[in-house]
Amino acid sequence: MALLERAEWYDIARSTNWTATYVSDADLFPDVMTGAQGVPAEAWEVYDEPYKTSYPEYVAIQREKDAGAYSVKAALQRSRIFEDADPGWRSILKSHYGAIALGEYAAMSAEARMTRFGRAPGMRNMATFGMMDENRHAQLQLFFPHEYCPKDRQFDWGHKAYHTNEWAAIAARHAFDDLFMARSATEIAVMLTFAFETGFTNMQFLGLAADAAEAGDYTFASLISSIQTDESRHAQIGGPALQVLIANGRKAEAQKLVDIAIARAWRIFCILTGPSMDYNTPREHRKQSFKEFMLEWIAGQFERALIDLGLDLPWYWEKMIAEFDYQHHAYQMGLWFWRPTLWWNPAAGVTPECREWLEEKYPGWNATFGKAWDVIIDNLVQGKVERTLPETLPIVCNMSQIPICAIPGYGWNVKDWPLEYEGRVYHFNSEIDRWVFEQEPERYRGHMTLVDRFLAGHILPPDLGGALAYMSLQPGEMGDDAHGYAWVDAYRELRRAAE
Amino acid sequence: MALFPVISNFQHDFVLLLLPVDTENTMDEVAAAAAHHSVGTRVAPQPDKIVRVRRQGAGDFFPRDVRLGETDVRPMETLEFIFCDA
Repeated sequence: MALLERAEWYDIARSTNWTATYVSDADLFPDVMTGAQGVPAEAWEVYDEPYKTSYPEYVAIQREKDAGAYSVKAALQRSRIFEDADPGWRSILKSHYGAIALGEYAAMSAEARMTRFGRAPGMRNMATFGMMDENRHAQLQLFFPHEYCPKDRQFDWGHKAYHTNEWAAIAARHAFDDLFMARSATEIAVMLTFAFETGFTNMQFLGLAADAAEAGDYTFASLISSIQTDESRHAQIGGPALQVLIANGRKAEAQKLVDIAIARAWRIFCILTGPSMDYNTPREHRKQSFKEFMLEWIAGQFERALIDLGLDLPWYWEKMIAEFDYQHHAYQMGLWFWRPTLWWNPAAGVTPECREWLEEKYPGWNATFGKAWDVIIDNLVQGKVERTLPETLPIVCNMSQIPICAIPGYGWNVKDWPLEYEGRVYHFNSEIDRWVFEQEPERYRGHMTLVDRFLAGHILPPDLGGALAYMSLQPGEMGDDAHGYAWVDAYRELRRAAE
Repeated sequence: MALFPVISNFQHDFVLLLLPVDTENTMDEVAAAAAHHSVGTRVAPQPDKIVRVRRQGAGDFFPRDVRLGETDVRPMETLEFIFCDA
């Protein structure tokens, strides 16, 4: 039987709006769920998704992609790539799986909300595929680390992380709940697919796949590539939604959603990808610094995407770009110093050669972050490991749920950005985080950071041991230095030579 | 006498820290408690200096012998700890 070309039937087949007669349109598509902001149904019918596919095409392609990813995994099952990989690379895998796998599952619910409540038929159609994409991503990224559990217990956190009160898991949940679990269909289109996926994850996954291939981990490279091709398709749901909002006089509302989402996505991206690129990736495998990557791929490309749509750059754009120089270095120091609170083993990434590279990429690093690392290294050289372990909690930002930190040493610029709201004082990492809170305080006011919970007596006994138990970190799971402090030997040699 | 948590922002350190102190502590004692978590861990000692305490952004330091409970510092307020000439 001859089949029509897709272009000949697609538009009419996905014109699925109808006139409700048993219930009112407002009951069928409540504004609180659609987020249509009063833009009527007819106005949404011009929504034109740039990527079109049919169900049979989708299934055929996805089947091929799955077969590709799973067969690379099966073929390399008996190789020694995992055992031979640098411990820093294994840490990247662990942090990635724990922070992302169940986030994908959450994203499936978000796509499902667009599938049901999207005001445009094209959005509902694209989101149906997006929903299945995210389900596939969750399954893949739970199955792949599961294989490693017998070899390394920390991989269990690929599944476990989101079910705990581990601080980084709280940070991920808080951001993802805000960006896509507790949002309307239109907000999800803008905040998840446009801001988070187009702006960050699509690019991150491209970079991550290349890094994995460079590190010799072809299993992870093929997995990430397989996911990224889905992301680049369903990330396009947001653009046409923004066009409809802007064309119907909702530019200010659209801009606000974009600005909030980028601010929140940047924090997650900064703590997850910054230390991975500049510290956990072995020096010889680094192609670009995190800052170079951000400027080229995120700032450059995303700026064009915003302007092409008729939006403005977020008001804090220059402030965010200034953070490319320091914020992830501060996060790295926090991750390493509070390493027992992680489900992975962070690499310090501060050998003499690494420091040369950091100084070249970030002039002034040695006079700032290097000064704090000097003290840590002195303690390690002298065998005082206990002086490099935490004895108190860092103050956690009431928005990002990540410790409030910035530049140490000669460039010291650490600052609290407090806000008193309804008698409670909230603490923020920056003016940007505080601005997000101020946009909708009633949305965020009830949440307690890990420090708030500690002070409220939720963490018992009230010490580091109690905090680790609260975070469900068992012996054998708590993080430690990725290389077992072997990198300190280079400094011992330098000191001996100097003597 | 009562437990009194404040936030330590110690000069040259990279992070804000929870600092459990007591209303009976003098500012010198509060500074010593803050130094315990920062100096010699991530901040190089400066033996010829003392550490003074001020509110975040304030120009003036608290008197060294004033007790925390005698000031209007609120629980979980951010205090800056700065190296000064003795």
